[in-house]
Amino acid sequence: MARVNLKVSVSGVRGTVGDALTPSLMAGFATAFGEYVGGGRVIVGRDTRPSGPMYERAVVAGLLSVGCQPVLLGVVPTPTVQMMVDEYKANGGIIITASHNPAEWNALKLIGASGIFLNHTEAAELLDIYNQSDHAYVPEDEYRNLRTVENAFDVQKKRIFAQVDREVIQGAKLKVAIDCCNGAGAPYSRAFLEELGCEVVALFEETDGIFRRPPEPVAENISKLCKTVVEQKCDIGFAQDPDADRIVVVGADGVPVGEQYSVVLATEHVLSKTPDPVVVNVQTTKALADVAAKYGCEAHFTPVGEINVTSKMLEVGAVIGGEGGSGGVIFPAVHPCRDSFTGMALILEMMAMRRQGLEQILEGIPRYLSAGCKVPCPPVRAVEVIRKLTAKYADAHPVTIDGLRLDWEDAWVLIRASNTEPIVRVFAEALKQERADELVAQFAAEIED
Amino acid sequence: MQPLRIGIAGLRGQVATALTPPLAMDFSSALGTYLDGGTVVVARDTRISSGMLHNAAISALLSCGCDVVDAGICSSPELHFMVPHLKADAGLLIGAGHHPKGWNALIPITSDGAAFTKVELQELLDIYHARRFDTRPWNQIGTERPAPSKGWMAYLDHLCAQLDTRAIAAANLSVVADFCNGSGGAIGEKFAERIGVEMIAINSKPSGILPHDPEPRPRSAIQVHSVLKPLKADIGFVFNSDLSRTSVVSSSGETLSEEYTVALVADQMLSKGWKLVTNWCTTRTLDAVAERHGAEIHRTKVGEAYIVDRMLELGAELAGDGSGSVAFGGHLPGYDSLMVMGVLLEAMAKKGATSAELAARLPRHCIVKKKIRTSSSHAYTLLHALRGHFPDAEVNDADGLRFDWPEGWVHLRASTTEPIIRMIVEWETREQAEEKALQVRGLLERMVV
Repeated sequence: MARVNLKVSVSGVRGTVGDALTPSLMAGFATAFGEYVGGGRVIVGRDTRPSGPMYERAVVAGLLSVGCQPVLLGVVPTPTVQMMVDEYKANGGIIITASHNPAEWNALKLIGASGIFLNHTEAAELLDIYNQSDHAYVPEDEYRNLRTVENAFDVQKKRIFAQVDREVIQGAKLKVAIDCCNGAGAPYSRAFLEELGCEVVALFEETDGIFRRPPEPVAENISKLCKTVVEQKCDIGFAQDPDADRIVVVGADGVPVGEQYSVVLATEHVLSKTPDPVVVNVQTTKALADVAAKYGCEAHFTPVGEINVTSKMLEVGAVIGGEGGSGGVIFPAVHPCRDSFTGMALILEMMAMRRQGLEQILEGIPRYLSAGCKVPCPPVRAVEVIRKLTAKYADAHPVTIDGLRLDWEDAWVLIRASNTEPIVRVFAEALKQERADELVAQFAAEIED
Repeated sequence: MQPLRIGIAGLRGQVATALTPPLAMDFSSALGTYLDGGTVVVARDTRISSGMLHNAAISALLSCGCDVVDAGICSSPELHFMVPHLKADAGLLIGAGHHPKGWNALIPITSDGAAFTKVELQELLDIYHARRFDTRPWNQIGTERPAPSKGWMAYLDHLCAQLDTRAIAAANLSVVADFCNGSGGAIGEKFAERIGVEMIAINSKPSGILPHDPEPRPRSAIQVHSVLKPLKADIGFVFNSDLSRTSVVSSSGETLSEEYTVALVADQMLSKGWKLVTNWCTTRTLDAVAERHGAEIHRTKVGEAYIVDRMLELGAELAGDGSGSVAFGGHLPGYDSLMVMGVLLEAMAKKGATSAELAARLPRHCIVKKKIRTSSSHAYTLLHALRGHFPDAEVNDADGLRFDWPEGWVHLRASTTEPIIRMIVEWETREQAEEKALQVRGLLERMVV
């Protein structure tokens, strides 16, 4: 079977430009989405990718053809679209972005009426409509006008500023380096931080869609930011991904704190003010649970995927949460979505209120060191292996909602089968590196047996 | 019947039932693939669905590596002018022109500004039917830019250079013009201002809401007719929604059939030895006018592409047909209603004649146009069976069937847009024409049974 670089699934549609991801396919998906949300207003935003304007036109054509009113925001962060759906009481939102994937990729992120991602059931219903050959195209008299909104980011900024003490942050006069990854955060990040009274050093601010560093904000891709933080004597550095929903932190010493610690830092700050439940996915570091325990708060785990976290947060009334593995901070007081700007504001507010540097704050939080590996294993056997290990390690608090997570006093391990390849991933964190390495080796051996 | 027509005038269809976003994208992708990159000027009229099609077309062109100059809402003569003026490789006109509400069309334009010839269109359609499009990778897709903001000025310069604008201005003329809420309102008013004519513009909002049948027929002229006399205007014009078809209301209040537009223009312009191109179903008045001035008439099949192509091939000075369309050899390779207006105003000014006097000089016959319902599969058989019934007539089958007698003629053609046979009968008096029409209709109806 010939492989195509296209994935149409409950996560939306994703592919490489010039291959199977044609404008026609994108328009078809937007048509199905417009039909699914029942017409009405649909907020449309995009990141800076060169293929963005092309797909935006395709999405607009699809939405108009089924009687929707597209509201175009232009280049904006993913969270801006989510908040605008809420703000404008729209029936849905579409973001044209392939998130942290390289420039040749693009995709649609689909937002429901409440400004959060479609859940699994809703996405399956949408996919069902997409797969039918007849579409509910409306005649001309039922067409609605296209709208354009400029400065949509102001809505997001206003919401964030209503939840943090700007005067305190401004008073701290922090020096901040920001790496915008030439993405959707680039037009807004500098001004946002300046309004918080920070002295700003910004990197990768060009918005031509040429990513001048690999777009995933992991340690190996943000060396320029690390160097800048040291050279410019910044108090902290932040790195965004191309659609500015993820945030990663770099300490004043130029060392990346690790994408796991964005949500941990935000949680440390929010729980110290409001001790209420926390929700994170199973890929999140044990340090999060340790922080929650310190403040006597309950920590809930969910399967991986932003919608799983936000749904659970709304269910249990969580004050803070997110996704450790991807640098996702979710602060529902602003909006139940991952937002790099909210993440930055919370961390800066903590530094300002405590009059502490990042290093001092991190001293009070357990520091876990990680290890990981891939083990070849077909999907059917992976299910068996996970079942067997769950029984065997019953005393290590097994969580099986998405793969298998085991927690000990000083370490935790996550065993997950890949959705795309016949492999199982083993990831471990421990207070000591040897322990993490041992755990990975031990479980890899158990899976291979 | 399928409300979609692919033919010499490009892709036409009823929006939603036939003309959908994927179809428009396939056609535009075929154009992009045919061009193999290059620059395309995309213009649209004001019809409500034109915005949707405009987005769909641009998206598809970009995906095939074409750069797009977005002319926005723009009349067809402006596009015919702009494509060669901007040295673009092609144009694409999105607009319904004279088509009824709910329809729309995509009409490709060559680099010299003319409609695609039959051969060029065939090549384009082969690509369309094969649906193998040359979609480009992310760093080779096209980019778009708006058309130069003062692009219309260059068109007006070009238009005015063909006319004695001083003479027109000196005559202090006033006109009533009905733009059918199409794309011509703005440019039409600027033209009037430029040539010093007072214009009372009606239905000049670019709303796309049709105030009457968009074909400039006598029944569409009621509004112009009703204001012309009270305002003592010198002449009235009824335009279709993209300035390609015109009919005239004279100062005496007579609404001239659109059949006479080209004859009226020809009567002002033709000189000995000039060539005039028309189709097989245009009034004999035109023959008489040509004869009066010693000009040659050449005939082609119905359709702008055929007429303009023959005009260019012969180096003819003038071309036009009974639908109220006129092209000017030295001016543009497409129909231009504003040039019609300019030529008639110049004639009035220089001859010191009223529009009623110009109209009175046309030798008149009487034309009757009828539609005969029939399923399209039978139309051609029926038409050919009719031959045997008129042994005394001279028959021409270059386009449909034309029967000529010394006193008049009958032209029958299967419509390409509706399940009907279009019949045009011209005789010396209305009674004779109606009688002949009745006779032919009877014959056809008996053949169906």
